[in-house]
Amino acid sequence: MIFSDFGMDTTSLAGSLESKLAVVRQAGFSQVVISATDVVGHPAGIAAGVRAVKASGLRVTGLEALRDYEGLDGQLHAYKVDIAKSLLDICSQLGGGSLLVEATTSTHADTGADVVARDLHKLATLAIPLGIRIAFKGVPWGRTAHDFRAAGEVVFRAGCPNLGLSIDAFDVLAAKVPLDDLDAIDPAQIFLVQLSDYMWQAMRSTEEEATTATHFRVFPGEGAHSEGLASFVNKLDAIGYLGDYSFDVYNDDYLQIPPETVAGRARLAAEWLAETVLRRALPIPDMERLRR
Amino acid sequence: MTNLMDREAVSEPENPLGFDGIEFIEFATSKPQALGGVLEQMGFRPIARHRSREVELYRQGTMNIVVNAQPADVPRTVQPVERPVLSAFAVRVRDADAAFQRARDLGAWEIPVRARSMELNIPAIHGVGESLIYFVDRYDEFSIYDVDFRATPAVDPHPPALGGLHFFGIVQYIGAERTADWVEFYSRIFGFKPLPDRVRFGIMPSGLLLQSPCRNFYLQLIEPDEPARYAPIDEHLQRIGLGTPDVLATVAQLEKRGIEFLASEKVHSTARGALTKPCLGSVMFELVHDEPPSSAAGP
Repeated sequence: MIFSDFGMDTTSLAGSLESKLAVVRQAGFSQVVISATDVVGHPAGIAAGVRAVKASGLRVTGLEALRDYEGLDGQLHAYKVDIAKSLLDICSQLGGGSLLVEATTSTHADTGADVVARDLHKLATLAIPLGIRIAFKGVPWGRTAHDFRAAGEVVFRAGCPNLGLSIDAFDVLAAKVPLDDLDAIDPAQIFLVQLSDYMWQAMRSTEEEATTATHFRVFPGEGAHSEGLASFVNKLDAIGYLGDYSFDVYNDDYLQIPPETVAGRARLAAEWLAETVLRRALPIPDMERLRR
Repeated sequence: MTNLMDREAVSEPENPLGFDGIEFIEFATSKPQALGGVLEQMGFRPIARHRSREVELYRQGTMNIVVNAQPADVPRTVQPVERPVLSAFAVRVRDADAAFQRARDLGAWEIPVRARSMELNIPAIHGVGESLIYFVDRYDEFSIYDVDFRATPAVDPHPPALGGLHFFGIVQYIGAERTADWVEFYSRIFGFKPLPDRVRFGIMPSGLLLQSPCRNFYLQLIEPDEPARYAPIDEHLQRIGLGTPDVLATVAQLEKRGIEFLASEKVHSTARGALTKPCLGSVMFELVHDEPPSSAAGP
């Protein structure tokens, strides 16, 4: 069974950081996306949080998330750069990987293309000495990028080698973005793909979409869009994406049931994707190198 | 990583900082006298001590080397241990403060100011690993050493260079597939330019060469060899490259002073270059055939 391509997200699980890491590991995963709040909120302090992550043996795919960063001016910009530096510091202590950055939703942000590109280039430059990659993600209610197409343009304009994309399947499914639009994206520029599904067939408003996105996501294979998810993952495979997949399942129900149960569901999702959808029976030679 | 080349040409001037070579290179070590011994064998002379810190200045010709034994007081900087570590280099620029501000705006990490009374504040940013990069603009008539250092009495403050030695470059070891990142860092902040693969100096040709905007100084970025690619690596400044117009004559002079050079089948002294054996476990100098830059022909 090969599902080393897939990882969980600590936000999907209830409990302490240590117990989250333990159940992720017990479910057979080798990588994890860490929410910064899990590390800094550790009751014994941030150093203990970092130790717990290192001791788990799990590879940290990414740290989430820097929000409302780009497009700000003066003191607001300086403040957000400080926040970014703190997150980069944590990310570095956790062993590198990617810092996830969501397109800003702030009404204070200047959304001019040059300003946005300049700010993201600055963030990526801050990340270079620490060996961290910046994974920029469009969100449906974002002001500078509402999907991967717009985020891809921002990343291209900023033009920094450690600046790339995080693509969230939920946003692609919810907004019905044509999968062929992925053809315009350089697979090497995709640093992370996040997978989740939801239960409803259609969403009536942006508000409903936002609520669903933050409270009612389910694992791939559990929701109403298995076919769409399968096509999405196969399309990524076809354009040559060989990087990590992570389940960004934010679900209120999952936060009040045992984390083992949730991790078990994640495992089923990984098995479904690896064996049925992608049919990756064997690791691709040189996989680690390609993945970086 | 081809987008580096595909992008539109930037409209920045060729040398945005007025980059004009290297003012000093710094080692950190808890055994400064042992390193001092090696530096003296290499032709450097101790000429001054810092007024308030355990820091010594060595010089020959146009080259200044700072030996720092002061315990680090800034996170992510080198804590001196016995084995000497290349801990910083200082670039000469037109306006140090402007260069520093520009670097900050572009995304460099500044280090907190730490001058004491009667001392200059030399602005610096974090470089590779735990190293620092300083910006210095007083190197012409008035130098930073006049303020921060006390000259050693009865010592020639301008000892001549042995064999025309001058700073040529620094070799930086980096992680696998990190070349594009570091090219971006040095191009964007300092105006370095990557050289094509066919341009090589000396006898150690691996990696990628970056040329400074003043064209007199090089950074060589080296990724790990194939078998070591998956091992975690601490990126760091590895060795100093020294230019000399006659490599073999200079090698002979240095050998007489007790410096040993590698003489294996793969790496040995030629008219193009030479590499010293490591001293004190880590200190290596690479000699490269190069005429001294005319503006830096020496005092």
